[in-house]
Amino acid sequence: MTDATFSPTDAALGGGEPPFDVREWLRLETMPHFMCPGCGHGIALRTMLWAAHDCGIDKDDLAVVCGIGCSGRIGGYIDANTFHTTHGRPLAFATGLKLARPDLTVVVVTGDGDCLAIGGNHLIHACRRNLDITCLMLNNEVYGMTGGQVSPTTSAHRITSTTQAGNFEPTFDACRLAEAAGAGFVGREVTRQAPALKSLIARAIRHHGFSFVEVMSDCTEIYGRKNELGEAPEMILGQKADMRPEVYNDAPDRPFRPNALPTGVFVERGLPEYGDSVRAHVAAVRTGGTGR
Amino acid sequence: MRPLSHDEFAGAEPHPVASGMNILVVGVGGQGVLMISKALALMAQRQGFQVKQSEVHGMAKRGGIVFSHVRFAERVWSPTIPQGEVDALIALEWAEGLRWLDHLRPGRGVFIADTRKIVPPFACRARTPGAPIAYARETPAEIVGRVAEGWALDATGIATALGDARAANTVLLGRLSAHLDYAPADWQAVIAAIVPKATREINRKAFEAGRAWIAPAMVEAPPPSARTAPAEGPATVPAGRPVVSIDPAWCKGCRICTTLCPEHCLTMQGGVAAVTAPDACTGCHVCEWLCPDFAITVRREGVLG
Repeated sequence: MTDATFSPTDAALGGGEPPFDVREWLRLETMPHFMCPGCGHGIALRTMLWAAHDCGIDKDDLAVVCGIGCSGRIGGYIDANTFHTTHGRPLAFATGLKLARPDLTVVVVTGDGDCLAIGGNHLIHACRRNLDITCLMLNNEVYGMTGGQVSPTTSAHRITSTTQAGNFEPTFDACRLAEAAGAGFVGREVTRQAPALKSLIARAIRHHGFSFVEVMSDCTEIYGRKNELGEAPEMILGQKADMRPEVYNDAPDRPFRPNALPTGVFVERGLPEYGDSVRAHVAAVRTGGTGR
Repeated sequence: MRPLSHDEFAGAEPHPVASGMNILVVGVGGQGVLMISKALALMAQRQGFQVKQSEVHGMAKRGGIVFSHVRFAERVWSPTIPQGEVDALIALEWAEGLRWLDHLRPGRGVFIADTRKIVPPFACRARTPGAPIAYARETPAEIVGRVAEGWALDATGIATALGDARAANTVLLGRLSAHLDYAPADWQAVIAAIVPKATREINRKAFEAGRAWIAPAMVEAPPPSARTAPAEGPATVPAGRPVVSIDPAWCKGCRICTTLCPEHCLTMQGGVAAVTAPDACTGCHVCEWLCPDFAITVRREGVLG
């Protein structure tokens, strides 16, 4: 009898070839990192490096561009080309970098405030241009580093240091924003589903065009504690209740949990890539044409 | 113009094509049971038979049971085959084949099965690697010896060698075709009409491999035990026990791992996580994936890294 038995337990064991070791991707002298206990950004960082490993990217060919905030700090721990830029402008820096060095894989790591408030303008124009970079927006619904102010994605009635009686502002749905602005690839996933998040990021990196990935992360100390959402384990378990793994198309018909955000890939479309357009335009102008 | 019955064939030579046939195709979700039955139905239709096909594919996506009845004759009344009147049973999964064995026509039915096991989740007694599983103990030789005519071949292995394990169903269809009185070119035309364009080539090769597989065994007429295909394919049983290591210098004591470990291997000791039940670990990697501080590593024993 053949021993070639497939058991469902084997499938979950993970460990591809070669196996992923996060320590090979870290600047070990900077570890352990500065983030609070249970911070979802640590999981997001690990998962992003895992995705890069799965895509077979060499460290020297990976450029990580970060903004300001908790999310902006994680670039400092990655043993690759990293770039810590000004508040809200990582996408602008990344645009220049990718145009100058199209051979690099450029990943932008930004936060909800960095990307949607201070850098909102840069986001919509990066989406519109559809340059081949991957933007990871780590959404923890708060400005964690500066003391827990309300952000464009803070949920309704949540308490922050600037909304002591509960948030009354409407929120941004960043994925719909990116989709409307013209991004080629848009997706969302929670940190709890690390393997699914890894696959999503890997798919976004492979996409030729602007890829926007919203990573739902937990801020345990500044946000979770004030809002009595529990500590790290309770928050990460709570992600299940806050999310529903569906795409937009299904969402409007579902009456239950109306505030739950859908996860998955929402948009994957082949649009003209900005770098290709720029190079074609330059070549046309140089040969005497008008580029039209 | 009566339904097929056992008596009609009593004493006749096994040459079922002239008067019709009852074929039962069984397997689990995703193996291509319905593709085989589609091919059989189209083939019979092109030969001028009336065909009825009915199937159950409810839990198919979860690896559940799938079976499909294909009946063709001059006139077919019922879409399902009564127990004991199956002329050919094609099993894409070993245990599923055993489940339906009693449907074969006694003393006449042909049994064609893939020996590859797909163990259902509920047959796993524990999640520990190497734990005992509840699965059929019968060897292919035993079963082949029990039926009138039986072939157990490693169709998945054959298809994998050809380049795509998913073509295992076509290997078995090729094996069945050697049994029926139709030209290989007709079969290939039927398959080409059904499968997606991109997979035509691999299905053509798989069909030929399945059809050719029987030839040497038929000529030499070996004892039943020798008809069993050799056990091949990579062993997927994990090499070593999973080992969880925690770097206490990096652990910040957030309790994510101790709360989310499904086997409760980890507990908090002095503000940091510690492995307190290493034997219960199944190597699911949840603690490693969800540790925000990269303090946990899960590796297999004997695996570097």
